[in-house]
Amino acid sequence: MTGIRRERPGTPEARRYSRRDFLKVGGAGLAGTALLGAAGCGGGGSGSGNLVFTMGTDTSGTLQGLIDKFNKENKGKLKVTYREMPTDTGQYFDKIKTEFQAGQSNIDIIGGDVIWTAQMAANGWVLDVTDRFPKSEQSKYLPAPIESLTYDDKIWGKPWFTDAGLLFYRADLLEKSGFSEPPQTWMELQEMAEKVMQDQGIKYGIVFQGSNYEGGVCNALEYVWTHGGDVLDGDEVIIDSPETVAGLETQRGFVTDGLAPEGVSTYTETETDPAFLGGDTVFARNWSYMYALAGTSDYPDVTPEKIGVTSIPTVEGAPKANCQGGWNLLISANSDLQEEAWEFVQWMSAEPAQKERALSATLLPTRTSLYDDPEVNEKVPTTVVAKTALTNAKPRPVSPYYSDMSLEMSEQFNTSLKGDESPEAAVKTLQDSLQQIVEQAS
Amino acid sequence: MTTASGEGKERSWFKEEFGSPERRTAYYMVLPALLIVLVVAFYPVLYGVVLSLTDSTVTSFGSFVGVENYVEMFQNPDFRLGLSNTVIFTVASVALEFIIGLGIALAINQAFRGRGLVRAAILVPWAFPTVISAVMWRLMFQDQVGVINYVANAIGVIDGPILADDTLLLIAVIFVDVWKTTPFMALLLLAGLQTIPGEVYEAARVDGASVMQRFFRITLPLLKGTILVAVLFRTLDAYRIYDLFWVMTSRGLDSLSTFVYEGVRISQLQFGPGNAAAVFIFVTAFAIALFFIRVLGMQTSTEE
Repeated sequence: MTGIRRERPGTPEARRYSRRDFLKVGGAGLAGTALLGAAGCGGGGSGSGNLVFTMGTDTSGTLQGLIDKFNKENKGKLKVTYREMPTDTGQYFDKIKTEFQAGQSNIDIIGGDVIWTAQMAANGWVLDVTDRFPKSEQSKYLPAPIESLTYDDKIWGKPWFTDAGLLFYRADLLEKSGFSEPPQTWMELQEMAEKVMQDQGIKYGIVFQGSNYEGGVCNALEYVWTHGGDVLDGDEVIIDSPETVAGLETQRGFVTDGLAPEGVSTYTETETDPAFLGGDTVFARNWSYMYALAGTSDYPDVTPEKIGVTSIPTVEGAPKANCQGGWNLLISANSDLQEEAWEFVQWMSAEPAQKERALSATLLPTRTSLYDDPEVNEKVPTTVVAKTALTNAKPRPVSPYYSDMSLEMSEQFNTSLKGDESPEAAVKTLQDSLQQIVEQAS
Repeated sequence: MTTASGEGKERSWFKEEFGSPERRTAYYMVLPALLIVLVVAFYPVLYGVVLSLTDSTVTSFGSFVGVENYVEMFQNPDFRLGLSNTVIFTVASVALEFIIGLGIALAINQAFRGRGLVRAAILVPWAFPTVISAVMWRLMFQDQVGVINYVANAIGVIDGPILADDTLLLIAVIFVDVWKTTPFMALLLLAGLQTIPGEVYEAARVDGASVMQRFFRITLPLLKGTILVAVLFRTLDAYRIYDLFWVMTSRGLDSLSTFVYEGVRISQLQFGPGNAAAVFIFVTAFAIALFFIRVLGMQTSTEE
């Protein structure tokens, strides 16, 4: 996707466009989408109203229960309707973006991916909550989610639940081959994997998510970061560096050295689970959810006792970098019921709701105190085994144009992983296209 | 109409059409339908053309930029790749579907026990929603659990995962489309075959025509109309392919239609470039249809 961009009116000045302008463009179809969902807000008397809350499909099926609980507690005062959105973060964002750009949204509260904050804030779609959410309150949350909500020195929402890229390893296999500790560096990982593969006839050394999508960006960025590279320095694109190239070379090297399956460039999380939990692989990079799948009826052989979880490896002497994921709670700037929406956000991000969601959906809370809660520790074991990795996650580049940048990155990282292009060439292309995105924006 | 006689002709034509009150009534009666067609078909198409000449986004009409969108589009390697993928896909899949479909149609046109069952069973792949068959086949091509990938690698046809190789992926997409739409082709051709009267064959047999002669001299010429309709339908369908590429290749391979979608969806919903690509598809598809009707002599109505 290069070439067909010229102007980017989603940027702050675009807010001036009125609804009439939108209709002029003939977006009848888009308006149709925008009008879907629950009825608008603005209900009667003081402090009463209907709120619309959007969030991707809740596979655990526990979100509605939580919302019902809130509605019951606020009976006659507030009623929150859950409007389901696509699971895929990219598709979800496309939808939200279309509605906000069209100015046709009835959404009050947004369950938003950590990577959206900058773009939504810069476009004026979400409410600045700096006054309502003081530093003293912020310190009760993990630092990475707070960082993901900070843009332009202001804070734009409250953290909900978090996640991070983790290295899963087969502790039993490593032990058999004489390794007592998980690898700290990529080099160690390669040595261990090769030995285990040879000693015990294991098919693959490592699996990860290399497909052309947002998850592929997270994976590649972990290699880039641990090798000392980065994407942005402020507004400046700095991706074209020997460090970035070295990172992508290490990633590609796992494929050419036979450690990773050749098809890894088509893998998402769905393909990673069976490859690792099916017993064919020594190491896997995945999000924390995979731990809960170990030993279940789908994967009876690889039990939780056999696997370990740790930070993503790095290069000798460099800091660790686990890509941060997770979801925040933000309030629409167009909402007529901002106070009421804030009430819901407070309730959802408070300890009881976070704990319930952690226990029922095994999602990772953002409240630091819950990481010492015995019940949470028992139900969500990654809060114990991977506490440092989770609490020290690194956010992806913060930019109002991140969603565009991500499309370019996922394409180039994927080409490099497939070997269709050298890491140098991919990084050069990226430098140009990301530069173009930044320039056209200003 | 510059000459006087031309004008006269024009006027008499007009008089003939609108002179009699009966005919006028007829026109009044089709007028609402015509208006609806104008509003829902012609207006959007024209508007799409206009938008393709501007730098419109979802929030602003933008300004007129001439053919810049088209120039950029043709320079875009993603577009060229999408175009070549689509053309290869269309030609290969329609050709295979036609040949296999004709074979199947000829076979089930014979009287045999259980013919009804076979005719129904053959429609099964076509009854699947495309997205579902795309996901299903993707799993079978996948490198860990995919049976096709496993077998193909085991017998040495290929070396490496199918989904990670663009050429193999395109072949796979063509294969799945053939699997899915051959039944449709077969049924259309079968319907055509059944309109050919048996006496013609009988007469030919009496005259000593061989099987091949009967096929090429009787079946094919008499089936021409049906073949053209079926092939045109499939060609236009294949040319606009979106779902199979989008889902089965998991955004790995572009077709023209996925290119349109990606062009429009990038951050600011750029209607200009997206519409340029859409207009390109419309115009080329229209040209294909015209080719079938004019050059190959397809009949569009029962008159004559």
